[in-house]
Amino acid sequence: MLPSCRSARSEWKGDQRLIILGIDGMDPQLLRQFMREGKMPNFAKLAAQGDFRELTTSIPPQSPVAWSNLITGMNAGGHGIFDFIHRDPKTLGLYFSASRVEGPKHAIHLGRWMIPLGGGSAEQLRKGEAFWQILDQHGIPNTIFRIPSNFPPVPAKGETLSGMGTPDLRGTYGTFSFYTDDPTAAPGAVEGGQIIPVQVENSRVVASLIGPDNTFKNGSPPATEPFSVSVDPLEPAAKVAVQGQEFVLGEGEWSNWVRVEFQLIPFFGNVKGMCRFYLKQAHPRFQLYVSPINMDPANPALPISTPSSYSRLLTDEAGEFHTQGIAEATKALSDGMLDDKEYLEQARTVLAEHRRIFDAEFPKFKQGIFFFYFSSLDLNSHMFWRLMDPKHPEYDAALAAQNGSAIESFYEQMDQVLGEVLPKLDSRTTLLVLSDHGFAPYNRSFNLNTWLLNNGYIKLKRDANPDSNEPLANVDWSQTRAYGLGLNGLYINLRGRESNGIVEPGAKADSLMAEIRGKLLAVRDAKANLPVITRVDLASEAYQGPYARSGPDMLVGYNRGYRAGWKTILGGFPPEELEDNTNPWSGDHCMDYTLVPGVLLSNRKIFAETPALTDIAPTILAEFGIAKGKGMIGQSVFRSSRATR
Amino acid sequence: MGSLGFTPSLIVVGISLVIGLVMVVVFRYTSDQKAIRVAKDHLKAHLLALRLFQDQIPVVLRSYGRILLATGRYLRLAFMPLLFVIVPLTFLIVQLDRYLGLTPLEAGHPFLVSARVADATTLNEASLQLPDGLVTTAPAVHVPAENEIVWRVVASREGDYEVNVQASAQTFSKRVVVGSGLPRLSPVRLRGRFWERLFYSAEAALPKNSLIEAISVQYPARDIAFAGFEWNWIWLFFVLSLAAGFLFKSILGIEI
Repeated sequence: MLPSCRSARSEWKGDQRLIILGIDGMDPQLLRQFMREGKMPNFAKLAAQGDFRELTTSIPPQSPVAWSNLITGMNAGGHGIFDFIHRDPKTLGLYFSASRVEGPKHAIHLGRWMIPLGGGSAEQLRKGEAFWQILDQHGIPNTIFRIPSNFPPVPAKGETLSGMGTPDLRGTYGTFSFYTDDPTAAPGAVEGGQIIPVQVENSRVVASLIGPDNTFKNGSPPATEPFSVSVDPLEPAAKVAVQGQEFVLGEGEWSNWVRVEFQLIPFFGNVKGMCRFYLKQAHPRFQLYVSPINMDPANPALPISTPSSYSRLLTDEAGEFHTQGIAEATKALSDGMLDDKEYLEQARTVLAEHRRIFDAEFPKFKQGIFFFYFSSLDLNSHMFWRLMDPKHPEYDAALAAQNGSAIESFYEQMDQVLGEVLPKLDSRTTLLVLSDHGFAPYNRSFNLNTWLLNNGYIKLKRDANPDSNEPLANVDWSQTRAYGLGLNGLYINLRGRESNGIVEPGAKADSLMAEIRGKLLAVRDAKANLPVITRVDLASEAYQGPYARSGPDMLVGYNRGYRAGWKTILGGFPPEELEDNTNPWSGDHCMDYTLVPGVLLSNRKIFAETPALTDIAPTILAEFGIAKGKGMIGQSVFRSSRATR
Repeated sequence: MGSLGFTPSLIVVGISLVIGLVMVVVFRYTSDQKAIRVAKDHLKAHLLALRLFQDQIPVVLRSYGRILLATGRYLRLAFMPLLFVIVPLTFLIVQLDRYLGLTPLEAGHPFLVSARVADATTLNEASLQLPDGLVTTAPAVHVPAENEIVWRVVASREGDYEVNVQASAQTFSKRVVVGSGLPRLSPVRLRGRFWERLFYSAEAALPKNSLIEAISVQYPARDIAFAGFEWNWIWLFFVLSLAAGFLFKSILGIEI
């Protein structure tokens, strides 16, 4: 076959097809184990007939970074995503790394109202050209479903839907509400949501759904919409009424998606969203969980797809679905609002939604590229590792007997999806099944900032409370030389970059980094007699590209079983350097990147000895006879592309 | 698809065209066409005067006054024919709403059946009896504040069902339609309340001595896709029949 797509912006005449199943968090060790046990027959078939390699992940091996590597063919130095969170070196304020949503900058104040001058904005912070934008330039049809680090979606001619990084209607990664009359439940914010006290009067609860901040009002208070719940005086059931919609929930039941409209200006401005209700308990205590308010895909408040009508089309074809980037209710499980069984039901619903959309979209794929992303293995490996690993501090034999096979069952579902794809392969179709990273147990937390404090690299102001929840609160910057932020990031307090930097760039900074690196690699966990950190990468060595110096100076690679502690990630100082991880979030991958590779399977022979995520974009382009884009550091994993053979 | 294979949108378009035509014809024969023409001519003349003599305040003020008078005269002339059509049109809309306003329930999808009782003491005595094909999927919810009891029901197959609500020794039925197409639907069966029954119910009234005041079924509202938008059929009918009326008025040379 002759190459048929060489001239840029021309009508593409080729008939090649490339299918990519992006399975977040699929681990090669687990995959091999399940294949050996006969639980993944379709994966075993693909590995036998095609190829199966480990896929080198990103530095650090975090999903936003890893998927950005895949999307752009560059590492973090090229695309500028170094972690889930970034810091402004001048203010040390934290922000989400992948996108920024802002209200209008200027406004006129009239009493309690505010008239914005101009609109708000949603800005994607990932740099670099996405592979599908290059395909667009060559007229190659593409469908990219829920790829992470693509909110708001970059301009594209194909059909794309944003994935991880898409906020809920409140602009967060997902804020739930939990309504209860239980006096022992402390009201207020918890990590992933809010506990809202209510009263059951005459078998009735009246409360409000909490929506987005109303930027039309002074102080931007959250918009709210009332709802009521009539609880049967005796039976474990209730009727919920919200905005003219009524439904009955028995105890332990989830509602379908409920559309809600938050009024910002009476009769004029409103924002549409949707949520699901879960009646956890009717008696003796009322407990109602309301999911984060997702953007309504039929009418999204912010751009989530290209073309903008695509998300509505998906709703028409496959019903409502989570638009929030991290759809699984992991925080609700961590915060104890949902138990394992309740969480698992919600997580299965998320996968069912994705499979419904896959079943609607995949049969329509005729040519070009079809990319489909699944989040289930990642998030459920995070939450259920403790039930399949007896060495985990949170292992519970009784719970394991109930849900110990949860991860396995999600793997089996991925095998079923692959089973739908394999019969569609032909001589003109290439299949890639890949993951961004693997998985490992997360048994013990290492509190990097506490270690830096104990080793004299951080100094606190006198009388400071080291256990404050404020990021890097009370740090005496005039005597602090290094600090940790994010899951793997370690920063030097550099003169000229940080507003109160004290370490001279150059030899002094290099010497300091070498000293810290040496000490970190020597840290051992006395309890397990294992090294805590197996690798420390310097940004100057790990990254190439224009943003190489915009992120952390050092990347801390934890040993299998270890990860940065929850508080240290946000600049906190827990008392202990090392502690057991007692959170249900029990598996992880934010470690030494060599310990958690992803997977790469194909129906074709993979010739690259050590394929990496940065090879995928060049591979995709090569499949259509397109040279790799500017700044891409990888190369096709196939010896020769199909188009040029 | 509706009756005879017509989609709801096609039915609304057809009805709107016919009603638009009928309305202008009725208007033609029930109105004083000559007087309407004169009233409109007067209006135009006074509007013209406003433009021609805008520098002469007394003329402008006089013209404003006469415009108001001419408008009142025109409205009076136009109102008479409206009286002829308003009652049959309202009746027609109410009847059409039975078919076009709601969609039948879907098999496998839960819906609510609720009964409002006359007094709170009856609340705990009320029960729901379902025919084969319908089952409850949650405990009944008693709402004392509203004298209401709500059941969540699901149909295993399409059908035209009768559910019975029993209170003490009394039993009352309510029709439930599970299926597709454009069947005649009644969302509520009521005791008394003539006007509410006239507009919302398509079933016989509950007896005056009934312990049950109302039995409702939660049918979903029907949205009709037309011109890229989802419409409530009444709004679509209003817009299309108005457009048809103006079209036929011009074709038939009727003064409106």
